[in-house]
Amino acid sequence: MLAEEYFFRVEKHETYLIVKFSKNPESSDLRQFETQLELISGNHVILDCDSLIEADRDFIRILLKLHLATKKDNKFLKFINVSSSLLTFFKKESLDTTFKIAQDLKDALSEIGVVPKRSISTDFIDSFLQSTIKVLKIQADIDVSHGGFEVTKTQDNGICDISGVIGIICNNFNGSVIISFPEKTFLNVLSKMLGDEIVELSSENMDGAAELANMIFGQAKLTLNEKGFGLKMALPSVILGKPDSFLSLHSGTAILIPFYSNEGHFYMRIGLSA
Amino acid sequence: MFDPKTKVLVVDDMLTMRKIVTKILRELGFIDIAEAQDGNEAWAKAKSGHCGLIISDWNMPNCTGLELLKKIRADKDLSKTPFLLVTAEAEQQQVAEAIKSGVDQYVVKPFSKEGLKTKLESTFKKVSVRNSA
Repeated sequence: MLAEEYFFRVEKHETYLIVKFSKNPESSDLRQFETQLELISGNHVILDCDSLIEADRDFIRILLKLHLATKKDNKFLKFINVSSSLLTFFKKESLDTTFKIAQDLKDALSEIGVVPKRSISTDFIDSFLQSTIKVLKIQADIDVSHGGFEVTKTQDNGICDISGVIGIICNNFNGSVIISFPEKTFLNVLSKMLGDEIVELSSENMDGAAELANMIFGQAKLTLNEKGFGLKMALPSVILGKPDSFLSLHSGTAILIPFYSNEGHFYMRIGLSA
Repeated sequence: MFDPKTKVLVVDDMLTMRKIVTKILRELGFIDIAEAQDGNEAWAKAKSGHCGLIISDWNMPNCTGLELLKKIRADKDLSKTPFLLVTAEAEQQQVAEAIKSGVDQYVVKPFSKEGLKTKLESTFKKVSVRNSA
């Protein structure tokens, strides 16, 4: 395979540029790069350093010049695919905080604001926590406490026989909230909601799980949209049995929150779409 | 106060929520309560005469509570029917839309028996003023 001849190449996108470096620069490469700075710096710029192993002081001087020019224009300058040797050099020169290094292109684009951020904030989780406590108190007169939350990669949700699921479509990401009950807890909660003893799960009462998810979502949505999350309306549904289908609902990690009450325990799971 | 002989139509796609509302209504003294699982079924029941008060969920498949409200308000026989919307998502924009469409009151889920009672009293008071004007 032939080695790349050029030092850098510019990919133009509608709202940003990607500058790809293909080798360590010669002094003539740097001079050429410097002549292009004015054209480059009026845009959001992502520097793809995949093929850069090192940088000399002259290169750093030019990068600083680009940094200042983009900053002056209120544009972002992001570094991606920074090698450990290059990062060490940045650190040695105390530039690792000046130069903004993103994890990958997607991360850089989300920081620039070109693509939505895929993250679940503590604000988001807290709204669902508080909403769950409120709904169970008002609708079923049950005092609920939560056991904090943990980030989980497993699909294991404890023992859950019935779950209410509701989709999340908002400015930052798409995903879903799943509230899962062991059968005994669900029947106890439902009995309190209806004021009658419910002794078994049936087609007549299982939609209670969806209704709980709906109410919890509604309360959380109210709080979150005041903070600009832009949650859209969604219809809830029910999953019976151990929800293997969580695999298709949530990609990678999810937030798992256990809740405890005198009527039994249950779980909430908040995750991003697969 | 409200007349317990009022024919009430409870509309919700969730059976559990219909049971909760119906139970509270019975505890408040209402005896003639019918149920419908979406706006289309409710419309048919309302047209057949079971319509002294409608308590409808907002977010339903097929025909939403808001669509039902608009149909009721546009119908010459039913336009004055007291209409209470139940919703889990009471954002300002939604509430404004419901008021513009002629809703008498809205209830935010979750709600207690006392909460629903207060909303019903307010609804009947408002309707009484409106119909005597």
